[in-house]
Amino acid sequence: MIPHAETAHWIAASVALLLGLVLLSEVIVGTDVFRRRRWRAYLWPSLALVSGVLIWLIAILSTFSTIHLLAHAIWAEAAMIAGAVELAVVRGKLSSPRWSLVAAAALLISGLSFLVHEQNPWLYSRAAFLHHAIGWMLVVAALFPLGRALRPQRTVLWGTGFALTFVLLAVMLFADRDSASIFGHFGEIPRP
Amino acid sequence: MRRLAVAAVAVVAALALPDVGLAHATLTTSYPRAQSTIQVPPAEVRLVFNQSVTVTSRAIQVLAADGTLLSGTATTRNGGAVVVAPVSRLERGSAYTVRWRVTSSDGHSPGGVFTFGVGVPAPPPTEAVGAAGTSWRDDVARWALFAALALLIGPLVVRVVVLRRSSVPAALEQRVHLLTTVAAFLVIDAGIVAFVLRAANALQLPGIDLLYGDLKPFAEHTRFGIAFLAMTMGFAIVAGLLLVAWIFDRTALRWPALVLSLALASGLSLSSHQATEPNRGTLPEVADWLHLVAACVWVGGLAALALCVWPVAPALRRTAFVGFSRIAVVLVALMVLGGAYLALVRLPSVSDLWTTHYGHVLLVKAAIVSVALGWGAAHHFLVRPRLERGADPEIRPSLVGELVVAFVVLLVAAVLTNSAPPAVRDRTPVVAGAAR
Repeated sequence: MIPHAETAHWIAASVALLLGLVLLSEVIVGTDVFRRRRWRAYLWPSLALVSGVLIWLIAILSTFSTIHLLAHAIWAEAAMIAGAVELAVVRGKLSSPRWSLVAAAALLISGLSFLVHEQNPWLYSRAAFLHHAIGWMLVVAALFPLGRALRPQRTVLWGTGFALTFVLLAVMLFADRDSASIFGHFGEIPRP
Repeated sequence: MRRLAVAAVAVVAALALPDVGLAHATLTTSYPRAQSTIQVPPAEVRLVFNQSVTVTSRAIQVLAADGTLLSGTATTRNGGAVVVAPVSRLERGSAYTVRWRVTSSDGHSPGGVFTFGVGVPAPPPTEAVGAAGTSWRDDVARWALFAALALLIGPLVVRVVVLRRSSVPAALEQRVHLLTTVAAFLVIDAGIVAFVLRAANALQLPGIDLLYGDLKPFAEHTRFGIAFLAMTMGFAIVAGLLLVAWIFDRTALRWPALVLSLALASGLSLSSHQATEPNRGTLPEVADWLHLVAACVWVGGLAALALCVWPVAPALRRTAFVGFSRIAVVLVALMVLGGAYLALVRLPSVSDLWTTHYGHVLLVKAAIVSVALGWGAAHHFLVRPRLERGADPEIRPSLVGELVVAFVVLLVAAVLTNSAPPAVRDRTPVVAGAAR
């Protein structure tokens, strides 16, 4: 009943990569150009909302330990709420830039649950290292939507940081398992 | 600069060296399998993990129904991924409990419990030897689940059924969206808490170790676990539908959200004590579901009137109140008839009402329900005619009062649901009582 961990993490990494690239595209070409086709504005918030629903599927398949169930539940809820609020902003339902605080809170809570979920020190293992790295990255990345909420005029800075957060998250999620095929060719290197 | 270089090397090493990547161990399979029935007593109990683990001599404990330890010293095989303990004195015709605890290579100590039967069906893991019964925490969690379900279903019914032909102001629309969406997430969260607490009663793991407890036997081999999985995913879809309905003004999406919510509520009926009693059957389960749904619509509908319609839509007060009042008659009938039928099914004799804990709780519930119904009757027979005549009496405090009583009813219902009904003589023996 439980899918292989790699499968779930590759899917999550792929979605994070897609999210990051969409956000990065908007930063590179500028919001005006990017949103000449209206549907593009809905891309990343919709992805976040849908991925939130899908993370619930992973959550209910993560009953092999309480911490995994709880952590996935937090990530699912954070993604759904943050995605929905951003969609509402794009749609015009919400207008204040302060609504970015929701994305900041989602990143902060997600990062903290990564850190709580990992009980070992940084250099205990690769998984521990990456869990700490992802956790702290998400906590720090909460500053980008926070900045967008409080200093909305510096769009490029906040947008770039926010986009790169998801690209980095994708890289780390791809690397977060023993036999991830993306790094599988390194598996033949003999252990020290 | 040197620190930077070390950090860079550490990052590259972490990403590039797959063989050093470790997570905590999880149980992939076992012999005997969890909740399985085998015909011949096994000579050993074997646990297979997804990675190597270290164990103490008591890593596996196989217990008879009376708590007698039947297992010997646990050892590892296959490089540490398999843990085996010899067992003796197991007999055909009995069920046994397996409690295990290992240390994985990342230092965590996952643990779990499951049961198996030799020639007899295995009881659910909640009835394993050493499992504790439900406590006030379970009652509060189930109450939160009932309350959230009511706040989801009731306002949806008021909006899509009672006010379906009315022109609804944006403020009311917004408030109903907010209330129902928050309630949908609360249903999921309360469900998770209730599920984990119920599993924790059986796992009996101390403090932080509960975080690494194996919940699979509960999720996959109990009716409440399966209902939990279906309800969690289902209500996530409900939350998604409600969010999309709000963002894109697709109010029609509330219909599938309501229908799905009503259907998912059956999970609570299928997984409560109704599901484990020997007198269970389709009719009691349907009665339980109707009883629950009627209560949710009643309580949630009151909340919609008191918290949404009255404060922000004065023009709709009469329509909403009169419309809901008509529905309330059907709801009360369903609640009373369903409740009476279930009481008859669950109480073998009338004296159980005053001689058992279940009977006492049922009497308390009946008393509080009487207060709530009296309050509702006053609204129906005294306030409704005035509203129909065009008056606008200030009844919000009264609505809030009835709502508070209704939430107390839900609390007592939660206690009742977590209580074990009186035993029936031909009840199938279990490994260990998990009753309160």
